[in-house]
Amino acid sequence: MPLWTDYLAQFLVAVVATISFGVTFRVSPRHYLACGFTGAVGWLVYVLCAELLTMSAPVATLVAALPLTACARLFAIRHKAPITLFLLCGIFPLVPGAGIYYTAYYFLRDDRTLFANKGVETLKIALALALGMALVCSIPLKRHNKS
Amino acid sequence: MAGNTFEQRMDLILDAGQTMLENGGEVFRAQQTMEIMARSLQLQEFHVYVLTNGIFASARSDNGDGLSMVRHVPLVSIHLGRVEAVNELSRELAQGQLDLPRARHKLEDARAIGSTPPRAERLACVVGSACFAFLFGGAWAEMLVAAVAGLLESVVCQQFGKRRINRIFTDIIAAGLGTLWALGVSFFLPTLDVNTATIGALMVLTPGVALTMGIRDIINADYLSGAIRLLDAVLIAGSIACGVVLAWLAGRGLGAIVW
Repeated sequence: MPLWTDYLAQFLVAVVATISFGVTFRVSPRHYLACGFTGAVGWLVYVLCAELLTMSAPVATLVAALPLTACARLFAIRHKAPITLFLLCGIFPLVPGAGIYYTAYYFLRDDRTLFANKGVETLKIALALALGMALVCSIPLKRHNKS
Repeated sequence: MAGNTFEQRMDLILDAGQTMLENGGEVFRAQQTMEIMARSLQLQEFHVYVLTNGIFASARSDNGDGLSMVRHVPLVSIHLGRVEAVNELSRELAQGQLDLPRARHKLEDARAIGSTPPRAERLACVVGSACFAFLFGGAWAEMLVAAVAGLLESVVCQQFGKRRINRIFTDIIAAGLGTLWALGVSFFLPTLDVNTATIGALMVLTPGVALTMGIRDIINADYLSGAIRLLDAVLIAGSIACGVVLAWLAGRGLGAIVW
């Protein structure tokens, strides 16, 4: 199954990519795997939504942000650590870096239609990400935890 | 609690809050931590207001004198290990496992947690850039180019950070150099997908932190701090875009001279 292995490879690479952010943010090494997993779950859901279900990038980002934030919350409770640790690292694969790049690129090419398209899309992705995180973060838990 | 003067307790709490804020804790977390600590240390009428870059606190001592303190936190560098340690400290303090001198000792320990050696940070940047180039559909060539671009960016960030050059300029130069490098390679290797390689390298610079923290601040109703952070995110995104545009312009100019 070449398709299946492709997604597995993407998952693993996303784990490594997220952990590398964990290193730059000096997360203590015992959280590395949890951070990597959080980020990779977000990325995998995003890719699956975008490629298999042909969702638009902002919608796929919104859908991917939900399990990502849920994972971060879960790890925060299980590791008794602030949720920031997992959220800050895990969010990076979904941040619209490509959008920023293409917006600048089309601005330079003086292609106003594509520039406006990409600019609005980048903004939409950022908003979707925010909305997804806000939704999951706001669900109250039965036993209110301070982390 | 012999020798626990009022000022010492107040100092400890503000130091803890400042450590959190400096190392990338959210505003509400710093505020909450300080309030929990104040309750555990039995400070009367403790009030605190935290902003992205400042802490204002006041309390009343046992003999009725008021005391207020202000801390300015101009520079934030993300060190989540320290945030976690202070969080742990406040939890232990609330459970009554620590007295004042031991808490002070633990706080100093937390502040002394070393930062990653610069070499490891550069390595992380290189690996991260290469991974993102792969995720955005790049092959070996794009990954290699992105890895070197990531190295360039991290060296720029570290050197500029050491010289206290402002953040916006640093981002412009880092993004510009990364893009210029990818463009330069594409002159000799026309099959290279410049866009993928560049995006992979730029992902390391994207304002993920500012965006996430801004949203979390806003969710917790710290609108002012959230707005400051979101503005930061927009500025970083803008400077990355600026760097890319400058690099393309420079690349085009150089290309015209060379060819």
